[in-house]
Amino acid sequence: MSQQSQSIQTLLDAEKEAAKVVQQARQYRTQRLKDARSEADKEIAEYRKQKDEEFKKFEAERSGSTQSVQTSIDKDTEQKIAAINEAFEKNRNEVVKKLLERVVEVHPEMHRNNKKTK
Amino acid sequence: MASRPGPLNDDEVLSETSKMVAFIKQEAQEKAREIKVKADEEFAVEKAKLVRQETAAIDAAAEKKRKGAETSIKIEHSTATNRARLRILAAREQHLHTLFDAARSQVVLIAQQDKNKYEQLLEGLILEGLLRFLESSVTVTCRPSDVPASEAAAASAAQTYHTISGRSVSISVDGSLPADGAGGVRLSAAQGGRITMDNTLDERLTLLEDTMLPEIRTDLFGKSENRKFYT
Repeated sequence: MSQQSQSIQTLLDAEKEAAKVVQQARQYRTQRLKDARSEADKEIAEYRKQKDEEFKKFEAERSGSTQSVQTSIDKDTEQKIAAINEAFEKNRNEVVKKLLERVVEVHPEMHRNNKKTK
Repeated sequence: MASRPGPLNDDEVLSETSKMVAFIKQEAQEKAREIKVKADEEFAVEKAKLVRQETAAIDAAAEKKRKGAETSIKIEHSTATNRARLRILAAREQHLHTLFDAARSQVVLIAQQDKNKYEQLLEGLILEGLLRFLESSVTVTCRPSDVPASEAAAASAAQTYHTISGRSVSISVDGSLPADGAGGVRLSAAQGGRITMDNTLDERLTLLEDTMLPEIRTDLFGKSENRKFYT
């Protein structure tokens, strides 16, 4: 009789061990899911950092080019303004003379539809 | 199980028990392995999914940022070009103002330099007004200093007017124009002065400043490089 209960006990112990093993496997699974999240986060953060650096580099290049464009535009403008000033000084007296000439230029005419009355 | 019929002896019980124990253990380990394998698969899938989702979002955001940066650069360039153009225009306008100021300061000299020419000018200005109005009674307003010259000019203008239009006119001269003007006359038809014509030198200059603008532009600064059409 005690042998029977011994065997049964052995079997029950074996079942308990088996349950433990399965339980551990399940814990492993849960842990794996958590790991998936944390590893994914790490990779994502790495990717994001890389992208940010790329963008910064892009920005730096571009800002350099904007500066140089601005400078060249300014230089061009200065030249144009200098040319304008020169042209003005050269021609101003002529134009003032022209203006004054026209002020006194009078063309008294009757309207072309009117006729001289007798 | 034992192949002999009848109850098992002690050894057989032990052997059966340990067989069962081994079976239980094996089942458990197989199950555990299955779970672990599946767990690893799910791990890989889940991780890949998360990474893919987020990197797609990051890429989209980066693309948007990049486009935004490009647009703002284009805007900057355009603003810079615009600013430059406006500077040039402002410089030109400044020169125009200088020019007109110079002209205005010299207009007063016209009346002072050549008296005969000035009287002829007055006659012309009055005649112009008469021919525009075609009225029978006109008032000529001039500067106080111009009254005698204007009266003489008005007389000969009336004659010429008759020659050209066959009409007669009676002109009255009054010297109520501000004395600091440059000269010239203002005419009004005598019906309460409701018809007027400002033929003073100042006003003529002002009108010229406007109408001569295209000509002045080409004279001062040369023809426009970008203009394609001229009427």
